[in-house]
This record gives sequence, structure tokens and C-alpha cells, in this order.
Amino acid sequence: MKNAIIIGSGISGMTCAVKLAEAGVRSLIVSPFPAERSQSVMAAGGINAVLSNPEEGDSVACHVDDTLKGGNFLAGKNAVKGLCEGAQDIIRYLEKIGTVFTVDENGAPARHSFGGQSHKRTCYCGAATGKQIVSALVMEVRRCEAAGMISRRLWSCFHSALIKDGVCYGALFFDESQGRLVAEYADAVVIATGGQNALFGKTTGSTQCDGYTAGKLFMQGAELKNPEFIQYHPTTFETAQKRMLVSETARGEGGRLFYIENGKRVYFMEEKYGPKGNLMTRDVVSREIYAANREVFLDVSFLGKDEIDRKLPEVRDLCKKYRNIDIAKEPIPVAPSVHFFMGGLAVRNNHETNIKNLFAVGECASIYHGANRLGGNSLLAALYSGSVAAKEISERPSPESKCDFADYCKAEGLKLEKMKESKSQFPVMYIRDLAAQTVNRNLGIVRDASSLQKGIEDLDYYLSVAGRINYDSSVMMYFNYSLTGILTLARATMTSALERKESRGAHYRSDYPDADDSFAASSIISYDGGAYRVRLDKEREYES
Amino acid sequence: MKVKILRQKNPFSESYWEAFDADVTEGMSIAGLLDSINYNDDIVNDKGEKTARIGWECSCLQGICGACAMVINGTPALACETFAGNLKGDEITIRPLSKFPVIHDLLVDRSIIQENLRKTDVYIEEYKPDSSKSKSKKEKEYLHQYSAAKCLKCGLCLEVCPNYAGGENFYGALFANDCYLVASRNKEKAGEIGKMYKEHFGRGCSKALSCMDVCPMKIETTASMAKMNRQP
Repeated sequence: MKNAIIIGSGISGMTCAVKLAEAGVRSLIVSPFPAERSQSVMAAGGINAVLSNPEEGDSVACHVDDTLKGGNFLAGKNAVKGLCEGAQDIIRYLEKIGTVFTVDENGAPARHSFGGQSHKRTCYCGAATGKQIVSALVMEVRRCEAAGMISRRLWSCFHSALIKDGVCYGALFFDESQGRLVAEYADAVVIATGGQNALFGKTTGSTQCDGYTAGKLFMQGAELKNPEFIQYHPTTFETAQKRMLVSETARGEGGRLFYIENGKRVYFMEEKYGPKGNLMTRDVVSREIYAANREVFLDVSFLGKDEIDRKLPEVRDLCKKYRNIDIAKEPIPVAPSVHFFMGGLAVRNNHETNIKNLFAVGECASIYHGANRLGGNSLLAALYSGSVAAKEISERPSPESKCDFADYCKAEGLKLEKMKESKSQFPVMYIRDLAAQTVNRNLGIVRDASSLQKGIEDLDYYLSVAGRINYDSSVMMYFNYSLTGILTLARATMTSALERKESRGAHYRSDYPDADDSFAASSIISYDGGAYRVRLDKEREYES
Repeated sequence: MKVKILRQKNPFSESYWEAFDADVTEGMSIAGLLDSINYNDDIVNDKGEKTARIGWECSCLQGICGACAMVINGTPALACETFAGNLKGDEITIRPLSKFPVIHDLLVDRSIIQENLRKTDVYIEEYKPDSSKSKSKKEKEYLHQYSAAKCLKCGLCLEVCPNYAGGENFYGALFANDCYLVASRNKEKAGEIGKMYKEHFGRGCSKALSCMDVCPMKIETTASMAKMNRQP
């Protein structure tokens, strides 16, 4: 292959670009804003890898087992095996490019324990692992830019892919600085646009990750996998601008969850699950907080100021800054909030979607995490998936066929011009807000058929008016044209959640509270001219 | 509370002040304030006239991405961690960073930051630290490297700097910190990057050090300077 377009400049996109450059493939990275603004910088905890000197008893096989078990055995064994086997090389690579890891007395990356894992294998960079990796990768991208192998384009938003007869030839972007659509052709297109936090309004993630790209590609024929599996982080708190995440470290250091009943503290997790109850997996804790149905608090004050200063400085600063809470003296009011999407674009083990030459990497692809993700595996998957896609793309011969999309581009341009003239009572940001309320209300931690059906009705209504919104020139054009794609992704997610009549991993149905073996497979959802078709991938067709 | 915002429709139009009457609630940041003005069906200014939504950039909303850098009551800061309740006076003024071209309202084009780092080959290439250093020195260096690598490229240090004009020759504190990171992570590049540092930072810095006051990551640029000034 000769060239690729990479959409998104977070860790997975940058990794893919750098690896392509090293294999002699030129790429263009397109994103509205630079890498420093990507959601990748928010990943705090760490990156899992069994290194050559593992903790006693640990092995790559253990990491594979933990990952498969964490995901309720929905993830493909071979894919997960590749991920865990590749982890050591990824850490070596990150060290080589100068990532500032927290190191042990021998200067090797230090490791700490993380939720859901049998051994201590999470490498980290203080409490800013994602940010430190982004900083190192930005420099690598710069090196490849200097060598003429990578070019970068900012202020450009994805509009649609150029697809004909199941083959992708490039993508169409809206250049916000020039106010027009620009088509780019390439031998491969790599989607690296992250999850869809912003679909849920202002949650713990970046406002930039709204799921439009996945939604639009779904409408263009790409299949989605497991969108109903959404990880809720149990301990977040409300602020005037977003929900802030209180790191799992707070409970790891002994933090206790409680609510008040008759003036007394009830440590409900400990009462139900024993002394280690506060450290149950994220889905269990989230559901228990939900079930408490009253204000829940996280207390770390008993650790004392010195220990808090030493072990939880980030939590201390966050609570002080945004809620004026002194965690050495008072408890933190917490509630679960959307955090990570296990589902996304369905990809084969080489990260190609069902559309030829269209790849997906990072959180927008669904492959390694099954029904629930292990802490420390998201950064690993971001780096690994970028490398796998790059290897596949670089080893393929250039496609022979070319296709001209001039008519399509012209027609889409005219549609946007027409949109500028639209006048109606439906402002785009208002409908985005309503959709966020709907998904929060009807696609929450605990779901049932009637709430999901109601959510689908609401989304269908928003979709019916999305084509005649009131054009808003004071927001980016992207916000105006992206509404239908975002709503369609939400509708697909809701549909998939309705069809999975069981509880598994992060998907909990109060009307079907148990796991059902007949659902022990990934959901695949496709779009057929407005119809949403869900099937279970019992043959494991994507695991090749 | 009265909120005055310096607005601009597009890169080519004139800027103008527009004021809003906003309800400031306890604990509200400037990001929250902008949101509260924007998230109404109709946006009205203090004269009751309908007006356009305020353009501004945000991503993480918790002070770790640098998107929402702007000038608030005369001080360059991140909107998401500047709280209305902590500001003095009975009105708030917000304007875009003045050292970068305005795209729309509070959105500015900061691509010169990346451009200058690219032109001067500021990249580590390969981790080759100076292994002759003592353990305590290495630990100290590690802490500063960790801090320098947290730079958000938000541009606040450039906004406040009396020496930074438009980035033509003097590239500012963020450049100095990235140079330090490269030189300290790869000793073989220290000489080469040292030349770039002198040309695009060392010679032009008058040591006002206001960059350190406004840095959201509290990066000690003076520590980077001390190391880089020792380069041959």
C-alpha cells in the first residue's frame, strides 16, 4: 500500500501513523484539534503488560485469562492472545521513544495493581499515563513529519467515507477553516475517533468524542459490534460543567462507600460483599450504588492528611478544585457515570471492518474487551490495535481499482448549502441535549424492555426531525450535519440492548437479571435503509 | 453578573464587545458560565437582543487538555479551572488569546506552536539518557521530565510573555520545556537541540518568568532553562 488516511489523533491514530511510516506508508492524520486535546490524555491509570520479570506466578496466559474472564468470554481468544503477547513489545517501544514512565530502583517501568487482575502488571507514568504517552507519540509523529512520511491536518471534521460496492476509497471532510468539503483518497482509511462519551452529554470523557464517525459509517454499511456494553464508572461527582471521575485508586487505598440511614452510616458494599466489598468490579459497584437509590458517599478521610497527600494527591486536588471538598475531612458524594465503550465498529483480528480497506482502531473498534473491560487494557489496546492495522495495511499490495466520487461530493456539498437555509423550531444543540437525556435515562446501568422501547421511540422522533433542524451558524458546521449520525448510533445501541434479553458484564437487564447461554456471543448490528438488524455472532465470523 | 466577551464572527471580520447578564452559581467555572449562556434555545445579550452562541473550544473540562485557554479579567487562564466566585470585581471580561489569529469568538488558531516545534526537529528519537549521573540527580531529572512532558501546548505561556510576538523567531516557554525534554531523554541530541534552544529561546528571553505564573501544569521553566543554558 502507498498511503492511508487516519481519522483521529489520539494514541491509537498516532501509533498507526508512526508504524505505517516505519513500514514505508505515507499517511495523513486528520482531526479538528491537535493530539493534546484528545481523550487519550485523560487516561490516568496505566497500561497492562507481563514483562520479562513478572510478578511471581504471572504470565501472558494469566493476562489472557483475566482479559477474557473480565469480558465474560465474549472477546475472541486469538485477538486477546495477540494483545497480551504484544504488550511487552509495546512497553519496550514506549520506553524507546522516550515515554516518561514511573520506574523502579533498576530504572525499569514500575508496576502497580489494578482492578480485576490476578497480578501486579500495570505499568504507569505517575497519574498521567495517557498524557505522557501522548507527549512521546507527538514527538514521534513530528519525527515522521520531518521525514515526509506523515502530514497533519487540523480544523477538519469527518463527514463521510467514500465507499462503493463494499470498498472504501477515501473520506470526505468538512474543512472548518475554509468552510467547505474536501475529499481525500487513499489506499486505506483508519478510524481512530474514540468512544462516544459526548452522546451522553458532559460525562467523564472528552466533549469531542460523540460517536458521529461510527454512527455515520454504520449508516454507510459498516457493522457495529456489542454497542450495548457500556462501562459505568461507579465513583464520579457532579460539577457545574461535567462529571469528574474519582480514580479507582481511592478505593484501592481503602476508600469506603456508604449512605446515611436513620442518621447512621451504612457501609452497604461491605455489608453485602464482605471487607473487600468496596473493590468489587466497576459494574457491580455501579449497580449497587444505583440500587441504593439515595445519595452515596466515598470516604477516605480516615487515611489522614499525610497519607492522602502521599497516595491520593490527584483525587485531593480534583475534589478541592471542583467541589471545595477537603477529602481529609469530609466524604465525597459519588454516583456512577458513563466511562468506556466496549462496543464499536466490528473489526476482524487485522482491524479491518466489513468494508474493504476501512479499518478501525482504539476505543471506536470493538474487539478485545467483550462485555466488560479490564482496567489498564484500554491504553494497551489503543497502541496494539494501531500497530496491527499498520502492519496489515503496509503488507497489502496497493488496490488496483480507483473510483471517482466527484458527483457524490458535489451532491453532499449542495446538501450542506441547503441546510444553511433551513429554518425550523428545532435547534441542533437542543436536540443533542434531548438525545443525551434520553440515553442517560433509558440506557442506564439498569435497563428493561419498557425503558429501552421508550428510548427508541424518543430517538426515532428526534431522527424524524433531524433532517429539518434550524441551522446554527454560530457552531461549527460539524454540529449541524453530525446530528443524524449521532442519533443513529444511539438508536443502534438501544436496539442492541433491547435484543440482548439477558444480563452479562456491563449490560444489566432488570427483566432478565441472569446470564443466558443462548446469548453467549457478540451482538452484530447492521443498518439496512433505516432498519436495524441485530444478530448474534455465534459462528464468530469476526474472529479471523 | 455582567459578562463582557470580545467576539468576532470569523477570521476576517472586526471584533466587538458584547455583554450578557448571567446567573453565576456557586462553584461555577468560566467554562460552566459559557455553557450556561450557550445552552438556551435563544441566546440574548444584556440588551435583550437575540444573538449567536459564543464560540469556544473545550475537550476535557478538567484542566488537562489546554483547549479552553483564554484571557479572563486580563489574566491568561484555562476557562475550566477559573472560578467566577474567585474573580474580583462585579463584572467578568473574557477575550480570546491575543497572540494567535482568531477563528471565531474565543477560538484561536494555535497551529504555529506545532509548526515551530516541527521546523526545529524537537523530537526525542530514541531514549538515550546520560547514564553517568548520580541516582539522586537522575531522580530529580525524572521529576522535571515528567512535569515538562505534561505541557498542554495551550499557549498561555506565550500569551503572557513580553518577548513572544507571533512566533516568528522567539518560540517561548513551551519550546524551552520541550527542548529540555529532548535533551534530557536523548543525550546524543542535546547539542543539536541546544542550538535551536539558544536561537529560538535563550537569546530572546528577558526572564520576566510570568510564563510560570500562568502555566496550568506548573512547569518550572527555569529548571529547563538552567539545564539548557549549560549546553555547550
